[in-house]
This record gives sequence, C-alpha cells and structure tokens, in this order.
Amino acid sequence: MSDSTLAAHAPLQISRWRRWWDRNRDSVDAYLFLAPFLAVYSVFVIYPVIQAVYMSLYDWDLLAMGMREFIGLKNYASMAWGTGITWDLQHLLVWRLVGLVTIPVSWWAAFRGSMRRATAGWLSVAAAVLFAGIMGIHPGEAGGRWNDAVFWTSLGNTVEFVLISTPLIVVIGLAMALALNGSGRSLGLYRTAFFASYVFSVSVLTLIWGYLLQPQRGILAAFLSSLGVEPIPWLTNPSLAMPAIVMATLWWTVGFNMVLFLAGLQDIDPTLYEAAEIDGAGRLMQFRHITLPGLQRTTLMVIVLQIIASFQIFGQVYIMTRGGPGGSTRVLIQHIYESGFRDFELGYASAMSLFLFVIMFVVSFFQFRLSPQEE
Amino acid sequence: MSVADWTSPKLRKRSGEIIFYVALSLAAFIWLVPIIWMFSLSLTPNEILKTITTSLIPIKPTLQNYISVFQVGLTPRWFLNSIIVTVVTTVGTLVLCAMAGYAFARLEFKGKNILFPFVLAGLMVPKEAMFIPLFLMFAEFEMHNTYPALILPRVAAPLGVFIMTQFLKAIPRDIEEAAELDGASRWTIFWKIMLPMSVPALTALGIFTFILTWNDYLWPLVSATEKEMFTITTGLASLQGNFAQATELGSLMARGVLASAPLLILFLVFQRQLIRGIAVGSGGK
Repeated sequence: MSDSTLAAHAPLQISRWRRWWDRNRDSVDAYLFLAPFLAVYSVFVIYPVIQAVYMSLYDWDLLAMGMREFIGLKNYASMAWGTGITWDLQHLLVWRLVGLVTIPVSWWAAFRGSMRRATAGWLSVAAAVLFAGIMGIHPGEAGGRWNDAVFWTSLGNTVEFVLISTPLIVVIGLAMALALNGSGRSLGLYRTAFFASYVFSVSVLTLIWGYLLQPQRGILAAFLSSLGVEPIPWLTNPSLAMPAIVMATLWWTVGFNMVLFLAGLQDIDPTLYEAAEIDGAGRLMQFRHITLPGLQRTTLMVIVLQIIASFQIFGQVYIMTRGGPGGSTRVLIQHIYESGFRDFELGYASAMSLFLFVIMFVVSFFQFRLSPQEE
Repeated sequence: MSVADWTSPKLRKRSGEIIFYVALSLAAFIWLVPIIWMFSLSLTPNEILKTITTSLIPIKPTLQNYISVFQVGLTPRWFLNSIIVTVVTTVGTLVLCAMAGYAFARLEFKGKNILFPFVLAGLMVPKEAMFIPLFLMFAEFEMHNTYPALILPRVAAPLGVFIMTQFLKAIPRDIEEAAELDGASRWTIFWKIMLPMSVPALTALGIFTFILTWNDYLWPLVSATEKEMFTITTGLASLQGNFAQATELGSLMARGVLASAPLLILFLVFQRQLIRGIAVGSGGK
C-alpha cells in the first residue's frame, strides 16, 4: 500500500468508526449498565434451570462426584411411575369431579365477560387432562405399587397444605384489610400489630409455635384447659399436625396479604362510593358492586402469589415436625432435600425440582392469562 | 325517652364503633400473644421455667438469658454471619437492579425487546426449587461454607429490576436532558441524578431484600454446613433440634428475640416504606 492511499483512507476510517460510535453509543452504555446484573442472573438463576434438566437425565451420585451415568428419563419414571399401574374411572372420583367443576365455572366467567374465551379454553383443557385423565392413574389392586410412594405422599401433603391454607389466608387477609382500611391513627396501630408477625424468620416462628402448641407447657393448652378442654397433642397427632402448621403459617404470613389488599383498596376510586351513597346503596351493596369488582386484580394476584409460596413450603414443617408424625406433614421440598442430601441422588432430586418448577410455571402462566390486558 | 335514645342512628353508630374497637383490640392482643410470650420467657430465669411456662409477664425478671447468649454457643458468630450476608446482598441487589433498571427504562439499545422478557422470565423460576444444581455449582468450585456462596445466588433479583425499571420510567426527563446539555456523562447522570431521585423505590426494595435475606432458610441450610458458617436463621433452627430444651427454654427464647431484633427495629422504623414496597413489588404497578 502506498503512502498516498493510506493518507486517503485514514480520515474515512476514523469517520466510519466515529459514525458507528455515535449510532451505537446508547447500546454500548446500556450493555455496560446491564452487564453486572446479567452476569449474576444468567449464572445463578437461569443456568441452574438448564443444569437441572441435564442432571435429571443422569444417575448422579453426590458422593462419587465423577460417577454419573446417563439414564434418560428413568428418574422421571422412578418419580411418577411404578409397577402394575392402571387407570380407572372410580379412583379419587369425588376429588376429580370437584376439580372438573373448573370447566363450567370458567365458561360461565367467559360468558359473563370477566375471562377471555381462550383462557377458559386453556383452563378447561388443563382441568380435563388433570382431573379426567391423570388423576385416574394409580397402582392396580394386584401387587401394583409406585416406584416412590413417598413422592406421592409428599405431593399429596403439599397439595393438601395449598388447598387448606390458600383460601384461609386469602379470605382472612381480605377481611383484615376491609376492617383496617381507613386513615385513622389508631387503625394504623392495628395494622402494625397484625403485620408485625410477618418479619419473623421461619426459625423464630417455629421456636414460638413449637412451644406454644406443646400440650404440657404451651400457652395454647393452658388457655384451652381454663375453658375445660383437654391438652391437644397438635404436632404429634397425624391428623392435627398439618392443621397446626397451617395455623402457624396463617399467623406468620396473613399480614402480607392484608397489605396487598389494603393497597388494592386504595386504588378504588372514592367517588364511586360517594355516588353509591347518594343513590342510597347500602354497605353490602357497595361491597358487592364496588369493592369486590375493584379488587379483582389484587385478589387474583394474591391467590397466585399464595399458591406459589405454599407449594414451596418447607421450613416450618422441617423444623417443627421433620415431616412427621408418620410422614403426615412431609412436603415436596423436604423430599427433594432428603433425596439429594440424605440419599445422595442428585439426578433424582433434580427431576423432582423440575416437576415443582413446572407446577409453578403453569400457575404463573394462568396469572398472565387471567390478569386484564394492559393497554 | 331512653328507649328512643338507644335507637337513634347517632347513638347506634357510636355503640357500633365501640364494639368494633373492643373486638379489634381483643383480636390484636391475641395476635400479639405469641410475641409477648417469647419476650416474657426470654426474661424469666430457666429455673422458674421448669415449673411455669405460661405467664405472659416475666416472673422474677432477669437479663441472665441474654448474657448467657454471649457466654455459651455460637449465636454471636451466627448473628455476625447474618449481618455480613444480609448487608452485602442488599447493597449488591440495589446496585445491580438500579443499573439494569436504568438501562431498561432510559436507554434505547439493540436486543432490548429480547432482554427485558428474558429478565422477567426469571420471575417464574422458583428459587426454592433450584437448590440442587446451585449446590453442585458451588461444590465444583469448593466454595461452600463461604460468604460468596451465601450471597451470590441471592443478588440477582429479577423482581428488583422490574421495580426499578417501572419507577425510573415514571421520572420526568427534563433534569436529565439539562444535565446532558451540560455535557454530563451517562454514569454521572445515573449516579448524581437518577439514584437520588429513586430513593423511595430503593428504600422499599432494600428493606424487602434485607428481610428476605435475613430470613432465608433453605439455601443457607444447603450451602453452609459448618457450624461456624450458619446464619442466625439456620443456627436457631439447629438449636431447636438438640438444645437441652427442658432446662434452657429461657436462653433459647432470648436467642429468638435477638435473631428478630434487627428486623423488628427495621420494621418499626421503615414500616411505611416496607408496606409501600410490598404493594409496588408484587402489584407490578
């Protein structure tokens, strides 16, 4: 290359670089600002999900770090299958029929216009597959059994916890918000009192409630005995342990839902109530036609958050009962934890983690579908 | 005339209000009984607790249980671990989320339409469920029982980015534009203008992160298996299994009070911000 051509090209090169810089300056800056978050996020939030999928396909022993064997979908089979598995119509019939009510209810909502038809369709498909199909699968009478019966017990207990605790915690949270909504100073003090229990850690919760529920030394037994009730062995009775866990959880977390509902109430246009008052609508009418519709979005969000949180229940059960008595409070995360760190089966534990992940993904999916579209 | 008085609307409303507040006070008292009880037990000598454990007012109150926390056991160490982990996690979360939120809210760049949904997708990853692959990752680098292992997985909060993005979007642009005309750099604008203006969102996010990190149980249980590296939350849980429960109830409750003290204080001071933070954070408004 001769000197003359170099001299001719150099300014052009600079200006091209310059123009690229001017055009992309924002992008460069943006990626510099995003880099730290994206790095940590990709490595510690996204990558583990991919790694879990990979691990779930292996027989992956925690102790023998080098030893792992590709076994395809066998972990999933150990989790959800067994020998002599059959399907029939009668198995868990009542529960399945109750579940199938989802279909008419969602179409009714779609018909009324409070749910999109596509969503009602998705819900119906999901309900049909789950309740009419999957829930009919069970080990047959003649020597059939699950590969891992404990998985099903744990799943059953987790679902039981979700089904009991969600309506209770949501409805009581709403009731508390309605009672404490207002601007008075004293109401603020009550709000503080009811919300305070939320800031305790799970091990403080279990410390307090573990003793509070004790039949010999607990304060609940002392109170009940003053009413003439015999001491109740809450945590050592298989049919009372889960209700006791629900009770403790309610005390611990309901304040959170109360705050969400209070925020929802603040968003309702106060002139609606004034207009209703002028029209002579009573309190109950106002509640039915203004408050409830106004809280629809909040309620949906609270329910979904509650379901997601409840599926991940672990600490209170693990510390207070270790899943007992007789496995009656053993939950899914405990089974994952013990499969991984007591039985050293990391692959199997990953398969179960992904199962839990899928449940929560489906719940969040319906949240997105159900929430009103934003403009 | 007294009958007529009682049925007058004004009086009925007044008596209704009184009944409402009496019922509310009773409910609030019952609600606080477990907390009052913990405080009462923590102030009662262990000898008395061998026979009476059901008093809401401490009998022969003493601070001995609190003093013993610093004489026996690892509780002070766990407390320190929790402070380090929680403070670093909170500050890290705030910095990372504010920077990312600024990029999403204010800068136009290629790939934004892909990256923002990519970050929001993280909201659907249940942190509790993914501890197995995380455990393996830190095991391969032999990093368990260290502070980074307790901190790093908790720093990347997609919800925090979402909150910061929404908040920064709502700030009017004129101040920034004036600064840009004066030749201020991006970093200066972010650091000197945007951050001070987003203090309300940062406070709410910060308190929320602090509480969740302080109370985190499953990941510290999995990662920090050496006693010296327990956090106060896992440490307190470990005591409930094997402590000499019958004889040391008062000391145990004193540890419970100390474990909750930072959050209770934080809660009483920043109540307003925390409550707004919860509403904003989960409402996605």
